[in-house]
Amino acid sequence: MSHETHRRDPGDVGPGFMDAAEVTIREGIARYVIGFVLACVLTAASFYVLNTSLIWGPGIPVALIVLAIAQMGVHLVFFLHINTAPDNTNNIMALAFGVLIVALVIAGSLWIMDHLNQNMAPMHQMMQMQR
Amino acid sequence: MSATDTPFERAADPYRVGRGRDWLSEGAGRGYVYATGHGEGGPASKRVIVGFGFWIFLLSDIVMFSAFFAAHAVLQTATAGGPSGRDLFNWWSIVAQTAFLLVSSFTCGLSAVATEARNQLWTQVALLVTGLFGLGFLVLEGRDFAAMVMQGAGPDRSAFLSSLFAVVGLHGLHVSAGLLWLGTMMAQVFVKGFRADILRRLVCFNLFWHALDIIWVALFTVVYLIGLGR
Amino acid sequence: MFGKLTWDVIPWSQPIPLVAGSVVVLIVLAILAWVVLKGYLPYLWREWITSVDHKRIGVMYTLLGVVMLLRGFIDAIMMRSQQAIAFRAAGYLPPEHYDQIFSAHGTIMIFFAAMPIIIGLMNFAVPLQLGVRDVAFPTLNSTSFWLTATGALLVNLSLVIGEFARTGWLVYPPLSELPYSPGVGVDYYLWALLISGVGTLMTGINFVTTILKIRAPGMSYLRMTIFCWTALAANLLIIAAFPVLTATLGMLALDRYLGFHFFTNDAGGNMMMFINLIWTWGHPEVYILVLPAFGIFSEVISTFSGKPLFNYRSMVAATMFICLVSYLVWMHHFFTMGAGADVNAFFGISTSIIAVGTGVKIYNWLFTMYGGRIRFATPMLWSMGFLVTFTIGGMTGVLLAVPPADFLLHNSLFLVAHFHNVIIAGVVFAAFAGITYWFPKAFGFKLDEGWGKAAFWLSLFGFYVVFMPLYVAGLLGMTRRLQHYEVAAWRPWVLIAGIGIVIMMAAAACQVIQFVVSIRRRDQLRDETGDPWDGRSLEWATASPPPPFNFAVLPNVQGAEPYWGIKQRAIETQQLSAEPRYEPIEMPRNSPTGFITAFFSTLTGFALIWHIWWLVGLGIVAAYAVFVWFAWRDAVEYSIPAEEVARYDRERRRARAQWLAQHAGQPA
Repeated sequence: MSHETHRRDPGDVGPGFMDAAEVTIREGIARYVIGFVLACVLTAASFYVLNTSLIWGPGIPVALIVLAIAQMGVHLVFFLHINTAPDNTNNIMALAFGVLIVALVIAGSLWIMDHLNQNMAPMHQMMQMQR
Repeated sequence: MSATDTPFERAADPYRVGRGRDWLSEGAGRGYVYATGHGEGGPASKRVIVGFGFWIFLLSDIVMFSAFFAAHAVLQTATAGGPSGRDLFNWWSIVAQTAFLLVSSFTCGLSAVATEARNQLWTQVALLVTGLFGLGFLVLEGRDFAAMVMQGAGPDRSAFLSSLFAVVGLHGLHVSAGLLWLGTMMAQVFVKGFRADILRRLVCFNLFWHALDIIWVALFTVVYLIGLGR
Repeated sequence: MFGKLTWDVIPWSQPIPLVAGSVVVLIVLAILAWVVLKGYLPYLWREWITSVDHKRIGVMYTLLGVVMLLRGFIDAIMMRSQQAIAFRAAGYLPPEHYDQIFSAHGTIMIFFAAMPIIIGLMNFAVPLQLGVRDVAFPTLNSTSFWLTATGALLVNLSLVIGEFARTGWLVYPPLSELPYSPGVGVDYYLWALLISGVGTLMTGINFVTTILKIRAPGMSYLRMTIFCWTALAANLLIIAAFPVLTATLGMLALDRYLGFHFFTNDAGGNMMMFINLIWTWGHPEVYILVLPAFGIFSEVISTFSGKPLFNYRSMVAATMFICLVSYLVWMHHFFTMGAGADVNAFFGISTSIIAVGTGVKIYNWLFTMYGGRIRFATPMLWSMGFLVTFTIGGMTGVLLAVPPADFLLHNSLFLVAHFHNVIIAGVVFAAFAGITYWFPKAFGFKLDEGWGKAAFWLSLFGFYVVFMPLYVAGLLGMTRRLQHYEVAAWRPWVLIAGIGIVIMMAAAACQVIQFVVSIRRRDQLRDETGDPWDGRSLEWATASPPPPFNFAVLPNVQGAEPYWGIKQRAIETQQLSAEPRYEPIEMPRNSPTGFITAFFSTLTGFALIWHIWWLVGLGIVAAYAVFVWFAWRDAVEYSIPAEEVARYDRERRRARAQWLAQHAGQPA
């Protein structure tokens, strides 16, 4: 195992890692402030979209999801410092893997369960059948 | 770690296809081939190992949440004659919870800056504020849950409510565990200072706390905002 | 005070579990007494129980798995014998007991036999093959093992204290909900798996981090062994699938304990959701088991054919292809449950496609053997048995992948024969191949070839005699999990299967004898150099057993099959490479954290099962206290001085130089 003082790798970076040698305190705080402001704006936008008729009704869930994804992106970039630099490749690949699995679980489950529900007898009929 | 002395030249790799670059092992540029933790550079440093390992743990946790989300999505209409989201959600509480968690995420980030600056006082202050906002979040959420149970809309009323309590409650459980961890970290930083392993743990805590806010974004969007439409 | 626990929960009136339980308790007490009286306890505590060394943890995992394999096998013997005599008769196992036996058989075999053996072999071999000193998180590794042992302990406790689930190994609701399973059986299942699932997930994180971030200098991805690639794929699947298992079993636990309605009959519960989610975990799970098994066969076949693996890159591609597609097929486990034609069609096609990846691998193994100089050692025999047997099982799988066919064969013995075909030929044969292959590396002496070969032939033959008739019985309409049956057409097949299980019992006996004989004859079977099989990968560069730090200096990898290259150079030049400059090595300290965490987890799990709420609270508080106490450590590593490193390594080099001198003039 490597002997540990505060060694930084020239070409590899863990997630959430701020390289203080390159970033001043001001810049560090600025990053978080910008992220915070953006997140606030997106959150407010979500609540706003819900309560006004700005977006056509059936499109509201889509708008909300887009806003949510945008806000997750803001968190990832500004708070977790995930970026597309080559030293971050492993972190991005891991994130992509996680996103893929989440998508498969949710989309797959919804697709299958929707079909199953359609083909299943209504509940009151099933309760009668069990008597 | 020193390498063995080998008086021989780099042997031709029999599995190399063509005469071009071995793109899989070279990463995005020649420099990174020989960086630690990549391609041919040898083992990564502990900081990277711990950060990456914890990152993968967070991703696995998100997969677990996705299973609960999937269950909630399927059961959103299974109210069994009982109350639905529209009847139950306390909007100001939800707005406040969202605000508290976001602020706590921000202050957590500030604590990371203070840590990089090795400033004990500001690190502790930022962590404390983070914890207080997190606690506020939990108090509000606990009150909401108690109110729902009092109304007869507890998790045993219907499948919809079960899935709601489960997915929101799981997040709350993670926040609670995070607060316990936060308290422990504050104590450790105070007693042991900014030692290398303590720093690694602070990085992990940061990742955890931000990830909890990311999950909350998904949660309030899907469960509360979209769920309201039903 | 003790929740639901009373003296009545011990099966006083049921002779079979009573006798079985008593025998096990006596054996365990006898072993404990022997250990304590002989004074081995300090040694065991220091060198094994608190060890964070991946090699030790790997051995313990494998040992746990093999012992539980025997326990699961005894369940199988009981099932086969019951079915053999229960034609228009009651047999000797009452239905309530029979139900517990097949549930326990499946649960134990998958979770506590196959997974631990595979994880154990990965633990032992992967860091050595990567040319590094240990995994990414050694103490976490120890905790993973002990949590798995906790799960195994809880399941085995159910034999004597209370009962086990009667629902089958996947506890489908509503049968597993409180109204229909009011006893503690399903609770035993839930907590055993929730606790050990945490351990397995941590293993997944550990190994993905290790394989991606901790490799010897020069070891790019395409220079890793195939076993490391398959370990990577399997551990990625663990990370992707086990959280879903935890979530689903957690939902069922919420239903049972707190009156939630995820899967209940009433208040809107949806039991199909359980089946959907549990198989979202369940299918990747079998690939978690079989991918490292494929990796083991790749290592064994290339070593004992004396050739590099054929078409390494397509093997890697096939492995990652299988890894990805395994997450796209899960619905084929419930074709018959009403999702409709288009959903069935999608998953039927994806299931057929996944066979392509395995087909590529089979051809590559065959082409590896072709033109090689094959040595028929025991591991190679297991591999060749696998090639034939697994192909048959795979083909029946593709047959089942066609939804209309599955409508007839779902839950029949045809299905049972199929999955045993692939699991036994794939995972169990690989387990024995891997154990025989790496045993000399772990313990310094080989296993007896004669008894090993006997065990192989009896296993192979016994497998066919048990399961081929079950395919026929399934096609004739026999359902699975029958405690008795009336149809005369099935009888001859069930009887033949009963004979087959006796052959497999003989095989198991040969395995046990193999170990006893090998330990007795270990001086004659000694592995002097550390390379008993003329190996090709880096683990064979170390001594047998390797020193705690594995490599005195991390090897500088210059091509695929690095050790083969080093060996050929040494033989050609008739000398070892120059002695390296030895430096002190820092290794992680042992830690009792894993053991103590598991101890409190066992208490908490037991308390949850029996509703002893004060003990639950105590266990959780204690677990947190252990975590804080562990986190407070200041000295986490110890240093091995350079002279000691040099001493170990010079010993190894002396043995190698001796071998070289003895084989001077012989061709490489």
